[in-house]
Formats: sequence, C-alpha cells, structure tokens
Amino acid sequence: MGFDISVTQGSDEATVKLSGELDAAAAPKLKETVEKVAGAKPKRLVFDVSALEFMASAGLRVLIFAKQKMGAGVSLYVIGSKGPVLNTLTMSGFHHSVILQDTYKPLE
Amino acid sequence: METRSVPAVLESLAEIRRFVKDAAGRARIEDSRTYQLQLAVDEIATNIILYGYKDAGEGAVISIGAERTGDALVITLKDQSPPFDPRTMQMPEAQDLVRPLEERKIGGLGIFLAIQGVDRLEYRREAGLFNALY
Repeated sequence: MGFDISVTQGSDEATVKLSGELDAAAAPKLKETVEKVAGAKPKRLVFDVSALEFMASAGLRVLIFAKQKMGAGVSLYVIGSKGPVLNTLTMSGFHHSVILQDTYKPLE
Repeated sequence: METRSVPAVLESLAEIRRFVKDAAGRARIEDSRTYQLQLAVDEIATNIILYGYKDAGEGAVISIGAERTGDALVITLKDQSPPFDPRTMQMPEAQDLVRPLEERKIGGLGIFLAIQGVDRLEYRREAGLFNALY
C-alpha cells in the first residue's frame, strides 16, 4: 500500500495530499513535508486525506506539530476525511481545532 | 493459534496490520471493527518498537498471534522489552481532547486510540514476555 504525498502551493494556501497508509513509519516523511511547506508561510494549510486508507496516532501528532510550527494564526483544513479516519479525528477531539470539510472552501 | 514473528522495526507495521486484517477476515469481523482492531494493534506495536525496544538494536522481534476463543478474536503481541503496562499510561481526559492543538501535548493518543478500539486490553508479564491481549 505504502504512503504518498503530493504538495500544491497556492498563493494563500499549501495543499498536502496524502494517500495510502499513514503510520509511524510514514509520519516522518509527512513531518518533513510540513516543515518545508511552513517555510513558505502560507495562510492556510490544507491536508487532503480523501485517498488516505489508514491513519495512526503518528498522523495526529503531525497535525499537532503543524499547528505548533505554523502558529495559531494559520488555519488547518482537513479535506475529504471519511469513515475510520474521520472517526479517529473526532474521537481525539481534533474537530475542535481543525476545519473539516468534504471539499476545500476557504472560510476567510 | 496462528503466530508470526516480525523484526521490531516500524517497517513491519504494515505486515502486522495485514496479519490482523487476515485474522479478522477469517473471524468474519465487520470492516469498521477490523479497522479499529488494526489501529489498536498498530499503536501497541508502535509503542513496543519506539519505546520498549528503544535500545535493543538489531535482531529484536515482535511475535504476533491470533486466536478465536468463543465469539472473541484474541490478538497477542509478545516482546522481550522491559516491563511496561500500557494500561497504566495517563490517558487524555475530556478537557484535553477539546484543547486547541497548539496547546496539546504530543503523547498519550496512541494508547488512547488502542483502548478505544477494542473490547478489552490486557497485559501480562510472562517470564520476560510482554503480552497485550484484545
């Protein structure tokens, strides 16, 4: 299955599309990507997880890292989460802090 | 009981999840519960690899077993790392789960997800072996 990342840099946002299985073996690669993307100082960071099949707590920790790295002023969007991945996000209370959407629509 | 031994490295997690999925398939467990079980086993195995075997070096292994008992599927993880009962970990509490991410601590979520995902999680110290039973 593996894990793949593709990044699209827009004018205001960076979109990181994830596919496959995000476990503790894959998380460092995503963390590295977030570090790179943060350097461009986007206003919004968008994770497209519509093709993500599996996410362990290591994935949640990267979201925490992203928020702490980029600061409270940068909104985190998680797009296309469904089924068990969505369940993990809400069970861990992440729906209070990230914007969950089916398709990306910037809020501000 | 069906068992398999895998090297205690993060790259083994995919094989561990596959083992659980196959066992759950044979036990005719529905997809959403299978996922929760895979996640729980993945989290415990991750803890063993990253913390239990932190100083173990090459050659460390995790043994994983699957057994049907009555209407339950029991997945067992065995390792030879120092004693650690995951049930004694401090769990995030209700107020932690609504905390903004910028104020969150990094740890504790994995075992939390593992416990949420299964009916029962047990730990046994057995002549130097660690067992996590579900």
